[in-house]
Amino acid sequence: MVRKMRNFARKLFGHKRVTGKDLSFTALFAKFQKILELNNQVLELMADMGDKLGGDYIFDRQYILSSCQRISDLVNKLIYNLNSLAPKKYTELNEVFRRINTEIEEELAGRLVISHTAYIMRYELITRDFSDVVGGKNANIAELKNQLGLDTPDGFAITTRAYQTFLEHNNLAEKIAEITKAWSEKEVSGNKASADIQSLILAGTMPNKVRKAVERALLHLQEATGNKRLYLAIRSSAWGEDSEHTFAGQYLSLLNQPQANVPNCYKEVLASTYSVSAMEYRQEKGFLEQEVAMAVACQNMIDASKSGVLYTLDPLHPERDVLLITATWGLGAPVVSGKVRADQYTLSRNYPHELTTLDIVRKTERLVPKKGGGCETLPIPHDLQMRSCLSDEEVKQIAETGLMIEKYFKKPQDIEWAFDQNRRLIILQTRQLNVRGAFARMVEDISSAVTGYPVIFAHKGVIAQNGIATGKVFMVRDDKDLDRFPQGAILVARRTSPRFARVMRKANGIITDIGSPTSHMSTIAREFKVPTIVNTEIATECLKPGQLITLDAEDNVVYVGIVKELLYYHFAEEAFEETYEYRLLRRLLKKIAPLNLVDPVGSNFVPKACKTFHDITRFIHEKAVEELMELNYYSHRDSDTPGRKLKSDIPLDLIIIDIGEGLAKETDSKIVRPEQIVSRPMYAFLSGLNMPGFWNSDPMSVDFGSFMSSLTRTFSSNLASPKFIGQNLAVISKTYANISLRLGYHFNMIDSYISENINDNYAYFRFLGGVTDQVRRSRRVEFIAQILEKNDFRVDLHGDLVVARVKKLVPEAMQKKVHTIGQLVAFTRQLDVQMNSDQQIERFVIEFDRLTQQSNIVNELEGTT
Amino acid sequence: MNTGEKTSVLILDDEAIVLKRLKPALEKAGYKVETFTESADALDRMKEKDFEIVITDLKMEGIDGMQFLTHVKERFPATEVIVITGFATMETAKESFQKGVFDFLAKPFKLGEIIDTVKKAEKKIYEK
Repeated sequence: MVRKMRNFARKLFGHKRVTGKDLSFTALFAKFQKILELNNQVLELMADMGDKLGGDYIFDRQYILSSCQRISDLVNKLIYNLNSLAPKKYTELNEVFRRINTEIEEELAGRLVISHTAYIMRYELITRDFSDVVGGKNANIAELKNQLGLDTPDGFAITTRAYQTFLEHNNLAEKIAEITKAWSEKEVSGNKASADIQSLILAGTMPNKVRKAVERALLHLQEATGNKRLYLAIRSSAWGEDSEHTFAGQYLSLLNQPQANVPNCYKEVLASTYSVSAMEYRQEKGFLEQEVAMAVACQNMIDASKSGVLYTLDPLHPERDVLLITATWGLGAPVVSGKVRADQYTLSRNYPHELTTLDIVRKTERLVPKKGGGCETLPIPHDLQMRSCLSDEEVKQIAETGLMIEKYFKKPQDIEWAFDQNRRLIILQTRQLNVRGAFARMVEDISSAVTGYPVIFAHKGVIAQNGIATGKVFMVRDDKDLDRFPQGAILVARRTSPRFARVMRKANGIITDIGSPTSHMSTIAREFKVPTIVNTEIATECLKPGQLITLDAEDNVVYVGIVKELLYYHFAEEAFEETYEYRLLRRLLKKIAPLNLVDPVGSNFVPKACKTFHDITRFIHEKAVEELMELNYYSHRDSDTPGRKLKSDIPLDLIIIDIGEGLAKETDSKIVRPEQIVSRPMYAFLSGLNMPGFWNSDPMSVDFGSFMSSLTRTFSSNLASPKFIGQNLAVISKTYANISLRLGYHFNMIDSYISENINDNYAYFRFLGGVTDQVRRSRRVEFIAQILEKNDFRVDLHGDLVVARVKKLVPEAMQKKVHTIGQLVAFTRQLDVQMNSDQQIERFVIEFDRLTQQSNIVNELEGTT
Repeated sequence: MNTGEKTSVLILDDEAIVLKRLKPALEKAGYKVETFTESADALDRMKEKDFEIVITDLKMEGIDGMQFLTHVKERFPATEVIVITGFATMETAKESFQKGVFDFLAKPFKLGEIIDTVKKAEKKIYEK
C-alpha cells in the first residue's frame, strides 16, 4: 500500500528537482507522505513489540536488538523528514531523540538505566511497572493494595534513583567498585571489603534534594494517617529482590523508628546491601555489581497484636498440598528470623481449608513497639502463653488472602502478615516461595501425568488470561448468583460481563461461552491475573454446577478433577515474566511505547516534553499536518495548490488541498462546497461522514435518541469547540484522497485511490484512540473492528491501534467502502466517552447497521446513491 | 500416536531463552526434549542417541547452523530438521529446503506454530 502511495505521488508529480525552502508542493507532499508512512511503521512495530510480552511468542535477544535498531532508524528518519519539511523549526527533536536512544543503547549493552523518576514514590502510585525504581518489596506490597485491595501499611518508597544520587553525591560509586573488584579477585577478605564499604556509606550524607523529598513524603503520610508523630518500619527493597531471587534475610529492616531517624536508617539499610552474606549471595547468583540498586521502603509501623508467616505451600513437601501458618503474639520479627518457637497451623489448600494439624507451643516473650521508638521484648501474660494465637476465623482469613496473592503472582508465596489492635489483617510483605527444586522432582513427566485425566473440552475459545486454575464450577446467570459466589470457585457464564469484576478476587478461573479477549471483563481478569478462557461456545452446556475441574489456560484445556501435576508444573517453571529477555523488552518498551503527549493544544506539546519514541512520533505527525496546512492554506505560498476550507453542515474544520482535478473547475479560492468535490474517494468519504444520524447533529430517532440523549447534551457542545475538533487536512486529486483527521482525541487517517483500474484501487484506514481508560479503549477498538470486518476490510488490531485495508475492488464497491469509513469516523467521534459497558459494543453495532439501512432507504427513495 | 515410546526432540540454539521456553512447551505436548547451546555438544549427543526431530537456529555466535544441519541430514537422513531463525531470507530458506529440512520458521514465532510444525514432522516420520 505504502509503495503504491509513493508510486502514485511519483506518477502524479514526476521528479522535480527542488532545493531548500523553494520546495514545491510536490516535494512537500512527498515528504508528508513519507512521514505518514514512517509513522505507520513505527506504530506497527511498537505494537508488534508489545505483543511479544503477551507470552504467546518465542523471541530472543536478537529480536530485541533488531527491533530496537529498526524503530530507532524509523524515528530518526521521521525527524529528518520533518526537519526538511520545516527547516530549523524543530531542531530540539534531535537532542531528545539522542537522549532516548542512548538510554536504549545502554539498556541493550546490559547497563541498568534508572529512568528519571522521582526520589520518592508514594505507594498509591506504584505498580509493578516501577519495580526497577522502587524495588521488589515495595512493588509487591503496593500491588496488593492497589490491585487486590488488601490492607497493607501506608508508606512510600525511596527509589533506586535516590540511591544513585546518594552514591554520586558522596563520590562512592568508584570506591565501591574498586573494593568489590579487589574482593572478587581475592585481594581482600569479604569481611574487610564489607566493613570498608559499609563505613563509606554510613559516613555519607543524604543529598539535600533527596532529604527534602523524604520530608514531603513524611508530611503526606502524616496527613494520610492522621498521625502527627509517625513511627516507621524502614526496610530494604533492592532491585531484583522478592522476584526470582528472594535475598531472604539478606538485607536489613529497622522497626518502629521515629521519623527524625529516617535519614540515618536510610543509610543503614543501604549499608546492609554490602553485608558479607549479601555480597556473597549476589556473587553466587551471578548478579552483577552494577545491578545493585537499593530502594528503601518506609512504612507506617503496624502495632501488631499478633503476627506471623504464611507459606502457601509446604516448600519441603509440596505434594502434601497444604498451607503452613506460623504465628506469635506481638511483632513478627522473631518468627521471621526463626529465633522463637511459634504456633503452627497446617491446613488444606482447598476450600474450606480444613485444619490438618495444630501445634500450640508455650510462648513466653513477645516483641512490641517501644514508646519513643525501637522495640522491646516483654513477657507474655500467663493465660496467653498456651493459648492459640489465631481463631479459626482468622486462620481462614489468612489462608484465603494468601491464596489470592498466590493466584495473582502465579507462584507459591512466603507472606508476612499481622493483625493490628483493631483485628484488621494487614499484609506486610510477600515474596515468591522457592520450591522449584521440589517440583521438578515431582513432575518429571508432565504429559503422561496429565493423560490420566479426562478432558471435558479442549481448544475451544480464546485464552484471555493464561494460568492454571482448579475449583468447583459455579454458574453465574444474574447478579443474585454473583452475591452467592463462593471463594475459590470457577465462574462459568454464557457471556462475559464487566459485572464479574465484583467476584474477581474470589474466582479461581473464568470460562464463558461468548466473549472476546479484548472485552472489559477480560481486561479485568488480566488485572487480577485470573486464568480465563472466553468464547468456548459450549462451556455452560458441558460443565455442571459443583463439578470439580482444572482449567488449563496455558494450553486451553478443561479437565475433570484437580490436575495437581499441572498446577505444580507451572509453579516449577520459571515464569516468562521472570526471564531476563522479558524484563529487558519490558524496560525498553517503557522508553518506546508510552504516550505522554496527548493534548496537541496543551502547553507541554513541545519536543522537550517527549519522553518516548511514541511521543516523538506523535509530535511529528501533528506538526507535519500543521506545516502542510500552514504552507498551503494560511500563507498561500503555492498558487498552484492553494488550501481551501470545506464548507459543511457538520463542524469539521477541514482544509482541502487539491493536487489534480479533485475539485470542480468553478471552485472559488477560499471555500469548497461538498458538491464541488469530484475526487472519488473524498466524495465517498464525505458522503459517509454526512450521513444523517452518524455525526449525531441530526435529530435522533426515538430509541437511539433516548439512549444517547444524555450524552449528546453533555458532550456535543464540548466536542464542537475548536479545541476538540483539531486541525484536519485532506490532500486530494480526481482519483486520490489522503485525509488526516483529529476528532476529539482520536486520530483517523484515510488513504485511498479509486480509479477504473481495479488493480490500483485501495482504501486504508487507521484509527488511533486517545486518552481514556484502557477498558473503554478496548471496547471502542472492538466496535470499530467489528464494523470494518463486517464490511470485508482486513483488520489488524494492535492494542489501541486499528489498521484496516481493502483493495482491488471495482470503483463503485471501493467508494462504498470509503463511504463506510466516513460513517465510522463520524460515529466513533463520540464513542470513547460512552463505552461504559460491554453490552454497548453490540448495541452500537446494531445501531450502526440500523442507521446505515435507514439512510440507504432514504437514498434509494431520493435516488442519490 | 500410540507408539509407547515418546518422540525425541533435540533443540540447538545459542540463546538460552529459546531453549528455556521451548523445552517445557514441547514436554507438555508429550515430547522427550534435550537442549543444547553448542553444536559440538549436540553432535556428540546425537552419536549416542537417535533423535527423531532436530530443531536448530541458523545463525548463532560461533556456530554455523547451516553446517550443523547439513551434517545432521548427511549422517541421520531419517531425522526431520526444523529451522528456526531470526534472519529469514529467501536464500537461507531455499538453501535449507535444498538440504532437506522439514520446515523453516522465522523468529519470533508463536508457541502454537512450533508445536504444530513438530506434530507435522512427527506425523511424517510415523507415516514412513
